[in-house]
Amino acid sequence: MFAAEARPAEGRRARILVAPVTVTPTKPLTPSHLKGLLWTDVLVRATAALADVTHLGSHTAFHSCEQTVGFWEFLDRTFGDLDYSACSDEDIGELYVRYRRSGQTPTAAACRPYLEALDEHSWVHPASARVLDIWQDQYAQLGMADPGLTRHQPPGLALEETIARLDAEGLCVDLRRLGGPVYLDPTRWGMPLRRIVAADGRPNYLACALRQLLPLVPDYDETVLLCDRELQPDYVLLQRVLTKAGATVHRVTLGRVAIDGQIDSARHGGWHRHTAAALLRAAGAGYDEAALRFGLRLYFIAVLGPGTSVPFSFDLLHRSLRRARLLLTDDGGATGTDLADLVGRHRGRHRYVDPYRLTSGLLARRQRRPGRELIRTVFA
Amino acid sequence: MMLGQRGLHRHAAGRLAACAPELAARHDLDTMAGLLAARHEIGADPALAATAVAVVLRRFALADLVRECCAFALGLDEAAMTAWRRSFTRAVFLVGNPANLRDRFAFAHVAPDSSAAWTRPATDDATAALRRLLKALDAPAALRAAPRSPVPVGGPLPAAGAARPGARLDLHVATAGVTVVTALVEVHHLLAEAVADGLVEAGDSIVPHTVPRLVGLDEPPAALRVGIDPLAPDRWYAAAALTVRRGS
Repeated sequence: MFAAEARPAEGRRARILVAPVTVTPTKPLTPSHLKGLLWTDVLVRATAALADVTHLGSHTAFHSCEQTVGFWEFLDRTFGDLDYSACSDEDIGELYVRYRRSGQTPTAAACRPYLEALDEHSWVHPASARVLDIWQDQYAQLGMADPGLTRHQPPGLALEETIARLDAEGLCVDLRRLGGPVYLDPTRWGMPLRRIVAADGRPNYLACALRQLLPLVPDYDETVLLCDRELQPDYVLLQRVLTKAGATVHRVTLGRVAIDGQIDSARHGGWHRHTAAALLRAAGAGYDEAALRFGLRLYFIAVLGPGTSVPFSFDLLHRSLRRARLLLTDDGGATGTDLADLVGRHRGRHRYVDPYRLTSGLLARRQRRPGRELIRTVFA
Repeated sequence: MMLGQRGLHRHAAGRLAACAPELAARHDLDTMAGLLAARHEIGADPALAATAVAVVLRRFALADLVRECCAFALGLDEAAMTAWRRSFTRAVFLVGNPANLRDRFAFAHVAPDSSAAWTRPATDDATAALRRLLKALDAPAALRAAPRSPVPVGGPLPAAGAARPGARLDLHVATAGVTVVTALVEVHHLLAEAVADGLVEAGDSIVPHTVPRLVGLDEPPAALRVGIDPLAPDRWYAAAALTVRRGS
């Protein structure tokens, strides 16, 4: 259940689990989302040169959160049976903004049919199914592997089993028999109680992540969690609990991307010129597929960096695309160096490859031009 | 015996006047509104109830509460109990696991199974760090019937020469329309004051009786808690009572 830390046997490649925060399939991908996705993509592809990497990308595990299932219920109650098949991700995103602005939180009873359909029949609301289809196309254009966006990937533990495991380790307080919620209890580490299941039985994002990750992490030598800064408190908790379960866990926290001086959650809208579709249209003209994919990674990783201090800029994006095109046409790139050695230099005290160190190193002045193999395998 | 509205009101007013005569003098304790206003002032004025205990609960069972609350109260020294009594035995109920907190916080009493813990009576500053880590107990479920098994009262035995044979008491707790948290508050006050008044001592045993309403008691209550009736806010009700069995 909560086991001792695993180490790879002699001669075996390390097994690494990469578990980024998922984007709720209710809105278009924004620059903040793209930063996280491209950061994850380079981390996965670079680390795969050295280790066996599993990229966890299940949305199924998180459909039961209020942000998603509550939106589904709101759509059907407010608009009836709409045809979403011709909607864009922005159309659906506008409906999501209306949902958040309404301030309505559907009852557990109202959400139950949706949760039962999800659990029993792998059902996904057509609005989110449409968003996931659109994202699949965008992932392909961006050269990102599809981690199973539309595949039913339920978490390995039922909610009750998750709570039982946590309770056995003294890591939760369950007040449901008294009409109260379930709290994750990290007070032994000086951290406050955190509610993970409401009194009406509905789990939040953290509970869903625990259901998904607790049964998986013992099979890996290292787990890498990626999240944005706003979720950092919950991900610190997640890291602690998984570490207590015997896993080696690292956390990569990324700042969101400011647009026009503002860092806003996507639930407020305001993304129109900056959605993934808009960026692909704006950036796609004049650059071939390889330059586009490489340039976007140079921009979102090396130029924007891990923090929030660099705001979004179309000028800098295009500069990165031009730089990518230049690097791709240069025949004098580094050769004769094993890819694993190349990327392996960009690990800290962990087994995964740091995407920022790797990518920003490509732009360093005295750095030899990157070889085609590196670009092709990791960036394009 | 019947506890009518007049009797309940007289009891509540009398207890308040005995504990806080200056406060009582400022209100018309002959009316329900006046008595409620006096009670409200106790809750609203930090100076009137400056000393409190924090009770950390991982789970709730009535028998466990009876046993551990009495053990805690019996373990307090006279100065601590006097200060706490003067503050109407105020308590803050928090959700948490005492086993996770013992390294960081000093508790006056911890249940052997770590299901509950009590801090020593003190001002709120002393428990600020603890209250930042934990949450107020949220237990709106209805209080369910509890087993009628005797609960032995542990704790330090009375001084030699003052010992009396162990008494057998009955704890009556109303359940109709009552939530767990309401019952918890009332029973906690009742037992703490009973220990302070010498009604309950180590070596006694208490049998919990959860009944819809406290009517038809065989004995007059030796201790009584009166509250606003959850079924009708313009009425009093007997929330909890202790009776002593004949021959004890």
